[in-house]
Amino acid sequence: MSAARRLASRLLLAVARHAPVECRDWANAMLRELDFIEGDWAALFWAMGSTTAIFRYSGCGLKAWFRKYSGYEEALTMKDLGKQIVGLLLGIAMAVALTFCALGILHLSLHLFPALEFGGVPWAAWLIVFAIPETIFIVGAVKLWQKKRPMALGILLSAIIFATHFVMHLVSHWNG
Amino acid sequence: MKMRLSPQTLQILDAFLQDPTDWKYGYDLSRNTGLRSGTLYPILMRLADRKLLDTAWEAAEMGKPPRHLYRLTPDGLQFVREHRPSRSTEELTGPAWSEVKS
Repeated sequence: MSAARRLASRLLLAVARHAPVECRDWANAMLRELDFIEGDWAALFWAMGSTTAIFRYSGCGLKAWFRKYSGYEEALTMKDLGKQIVGLLLGIAMAVALTFCALGILHLSLHLFPALEFGGVPWAAWLIVFAIPETIFIVGAVKLWQKKRPMALGILLSAIIFATHFVMHLVSHWNG
Repeated sequence: MKMRLSPQTLQILDAFLQDPTDWKYGYDLSRNTGLRSGTLYPILMRLADRKLLDTAWEAAEMGKPPRHLYRLTPDGLQFVREHRPSRSTEELTGPAWSEVKS
């Protein structure tokens, strides 16, 4: 028996042994067919495909069980999950873009109007790079919460990370 | 009964229709339809769940492990006959259908 066929056999044996009860018959059925496949590599591919089939079937069973016992009828489909992740990433991207815009405005104003040096305590700079963007983040997140929650979450997450960064920056650079 | 009839499902149903009363093996179905096990078995499982497919274990013989057998149930046969004519032959591809045509 070649290594490929041995691997195929072991794989399907393991699947048949550990598969959920409702799948065990199917896993055994796939295992039995292995003896009738001529090529060793074909047998290995058969075993791999069969393993995938059992995993998919078990996944469906778990989902059905979850729906039945949790009362959560609208379990997330992969498509929905994808949409939510895109929304979250979009929210983060918007927040990052806004932060960079604020930083850009600050640098540009200092470059164009050097007289605008913010003195010893840079309240104006803090206002531009922190207070205004944070306010926009929070207002935006509140506005988007009902209709585009993942995006609002992305914005909120960015706002928290940005605020933490700002506080840490202040603490580490504060010299009196 | 609502069920998505993919081209692969139709190929399998066609393979069963060639001789509806005969029991068939999984590997033979795979060879006749050209479908791999990862595609074939989920469809068989779905058909069996919807009571459109009968499954049975072959009677054990000395030195020969039993194999799993599949056949359309009367409901399955009716389902196929109801849904099969709605598809034109051009929509169907694969060895099973070409065998039926020839």
